[in-house]
Amino acid sequence: MTGLGWGVKSLGRHPLRTALSLAGIAVASAMLLDMVMLSGGIEKSFSDLLLARGYQIRLTPKGTLPFDTEASIGGASHAVRTIRADSGVEAAGAVLGTSIYGRAHDSLVTLFGYGIQPEAQGIYQVTAGADLAPGDTLGVLLSETAAQLLGAAPGDTVTLVGRLDPQMADAAVGRRLAVRGEVRWIYDYRGQPSVGTVLPVMQRLGRDAAEDRASLLLVKVADGAAVEDVAARLRERFPHLEVSSVADLVVQAKRRLVYFTQLSYVLGGMSLIVAVLLVGTLLTITVNERLGEIATLRAIGVSRGTIVRQVFAEGTALTVLGAGFGIVLGLATAEYLDAILTSFPGLPASFSFFVPRADTLGLAALVLLVTGSLAGLYPAWLASRAPIAATLRAEAT
Amino acid sequence: MLVARDLRKDYPMNGETVHALRGASLTVEPGEYVALVGPSGSGKSTLLQIVGGIDTPTAGTVEILGTRLETLSDRELTRLRLTRLGFVFQRFHLLPVLTARENVELPMAEAGVKGADRRARARRLLDYVGLGHREGHRATQLSGGEMQRVAIARALANRPAVLLADEPTGELDAATGQEILDLFRRLNTDGTTLLVVTHDERLAAQAGRTVHMLDGRIVSEAAAP
Amino acid sequence: MISALCLTLALVQATEPPHPSTGIAIERAVAEQLDLGVGDTVRLGAAPESLPHLAVVSAIYEPRPDPAEVSRRSLRVRLHLPDLAAVLGAPDRVDRFGVGLLPGVTPDSAAAVLNRSAFGFRAHPSATIASESSQTFKVVSRFHRAIAVITIVASAVFLLCIMLLKVEERRLDAAVMRFVGVRRRTIFGALVLEAALIAVLGSALGAGLAFLAGAATNAYYREFFDTELIFSLITPRIVLFSVCLSLLLGVAAGALAAWRLVRTRPMALWGRA
Repeated sequence: MTGLGWGVKSLGRHPLRTALSLAGIAVASAMLLDMVMLSGGIEKSFSDLLLARGYQIRLTPKGTLPFDTEASIGGASHAVRTIRADSGVEAAGAVLGTSIYGRAHDSLVTLFGYGIQPEAQGIYQVTAGADLAPGDTLGVLLSETAAQLLGAAPGDTVTLVGRLDPQMADAAVGRRLAVRGEVRWIYDYRGQPSVGTVLPVMQRLGRDAAEDRASLLLVKVADGAAVEDVAARLRERFPHLEVSSVADLVVQAKRRLVYFTQLSYVLGGMSLIVAVLLVGTLLTITVNERLGEIATLRAIGVSRGTIVRQVFAEGTALTVLGAGFGIVLGLATAEYLDAILTSFPGLPASFSFFVPRADTLGLAALVLLVTGSLAGLYPAWLASRAPIAATLRAEAT
Repeated sequence: MLVARDLRKDYPMNGETVHALRGASLTVEPGEYVALVGPSGSGKSTLLQIVGGIDTPTAGTVEILGTRLETLSDRELTRLRLTRLGFVFQRFHLLPVLTARENVELPMAEAGVKGADRRARARRLLDYVGLGHREGHRATQLSGGEMQRVAIARALANRPAVLLADEPTGELDAATGQEILDLFRRLNTDGTTLLVVTHDERLAAQAGRTVHMLDGRIVSEAAAP
Repeated sequence: MISALCLTLALVQATEPPHPSTGIAIERAVAEQLDLGVGDTVRLGAAPESLPHLAVVSAIYEPRPDPAEVSRRSLRVRLHLPDLAAVLGAPDRVDRFGVGLLPGVTPDSAAAVLNRSAFGFRAHPSATIASESSQTFKVVSRFHRAIAVITIVASAVFLLCIMLLKVEERRLDAAVMRFVGVRRRTIFGALVLEAALIAVLGSALGAGLAFLAGAATNAYYREFFDTELIFSLITPRIVLFSVCLSLLLGVAAGALAAWRLVRTRPMALWGRA
């Protein structure tokens, strides 16, 4: 039976009441959506970031995370050769991160220096100019901010210096390098002035040349090889290093940002409660107001099932409409909240806390729809159980 | 067609038992037009509700078209009300969010009548009660008399065997009430069986038989001269 | 002048007999994790593969609760500067100097003087560093404020809705009062008063719930992060703000609904119009 949609149409009887309920559900849905996006966004965004260049395994000094401390790995080149020899490895490269300086006119600017192996790099994307060639000891790559600070562009020459000696007021080491290209360093925070050279050059600019040190080793697993199997072999081969797959690192990141995940659960739960209360309260009061009408419908032969379906449909329509507005509102507020959280100092510029995904949106909508509809169950039951004769007697007085 | 035997109905009210019916028996034959009259609290409406299957007696039996109501489940009773009985109430109780035609369609939709068929029948019924031109108006846009006529059309939607009406002119002024009386007379002339609870002497006067109630009992019956 | 050097250390419990010359103070969390006590000997080194130095645990300390460190769970130990420099193989190297100023010298002017003559380092007033290092909390604080605004909007709409429904429930009462000659103004006042009372009672209940939720939040996160930090702080100002807001919204919603009600004809309220 069609029921002629009188349940849904009943929403139009009290426009102000319905509008307020819709607004409440919309705000609650927006909050729910934001919190669902936040709970899964950290994981997704961090995972995407780590896999941006397809490297699935990181080796770092024992007990540390990539670039989390100044600890470094000795004998990096030998370690990389050993890793590359593994049949499950497609590519491996070492990265050194250190503080260095660049000459800008008459002054020195502090830069973050990456030592890389261009033939196997997983930490940047070239945005202008050219990449470094393997073994290019005369070239350098700059981030946009570093290029601005040094006043240089691809084709220009810059001077990088390291190991400053305050007593001598001079740098112990300096190199003039040709800018090959401008790059986006994937793990840089917004506005980070970073430069990159081949590993031996950066080791010399820092103080790690003698021991061939690197901050981390990146490993890309060959097609057909299992990441966890390769990671297990590397753990066995390098017991003094921390071997982390992307999944391991995501777990670590989630542990650090656990507050936000838990907050998202709590606020998401509260949003659901608000939505349920709104739908439940509105329908209960509406049904109570219409008991006479419902008793009449029962008297003329409308079944309990039809009454339940119509009241249920009313709750569902309210929830769907409210959630529809809520999605728009939620996406807007998520952008605003994300802008706040991504201003955390030291956070990679491409990291997001609120990541809109079809499955996230779907999950939020489904959860809201189910709970919102369930909230209509009690009023629907109440409506279907109203005693016909007694209600009609009461109505007649 | 409709046989009620020795109906008793007690219900609690404010800690006391109200004896609404104290052994009322009534028979309505096909094509009859019966008016139930009596003072307020005499049990007329309770009797109507029990024979209409929307209330249950404390004792006694009701038989409609050979079916004993007490043997039916709630679902079966609902189905019987939908397909074999028609109800008209004092306060109309149309759904205000639906148009006049949709209100008439409602019982047919519940009975599973297909859209085109029920729309056509709803139009015919509205024409019959003189409201064909108002079919697209919402219930809230109709006058009291028009609402009651739509309610009558709704009651006739599934071709009921008996039309039960509880004070159908109670909310209407004299002129509008007369229109309803005329409609009832026409309905009866066209073969509809009517059992009407009323205080309206004009309605009682036009019925084929008048049943008087007092204190839950039927005290007299009189056929029209 | 105070100097300090902080670098990552590898630290394991030593199995050989000690020949103590180096003392080390360890955090309670380190002591618990490594099952160490005062007098135990540990091996120290700058890398896991090389732990040449022995040290004796001379103290176990409870670190000052630091919100910046709460989620990092780093394990920390303290050594005398020369001992740490020796372990790291970086004699006479430090990360930073702390400079105490004579009375009358402002930090900004001192920093400016140092920066003019500095090569290879930079001087910062402590206030600037404190401001930089509190950046994380400023972000969290902004996030909390944004969430609070959304929550307040949601609560406001919810409250308006409930109040509207609550007053509309009184249609029949209002109709009866009008029938017996009660003035519109009296009905309006009674309904607004009822709305205000509900708002006050509701917000008092809400404040109670907030205190309970705050206590639960603190208990949970203190246990979770093993810290004495306070995570949820409900001040009298917050309570006052919430109660005032609820009252304001409640009265506004009640007045709106009551106004609609008293403007309706009594027969319509009674459902006979």
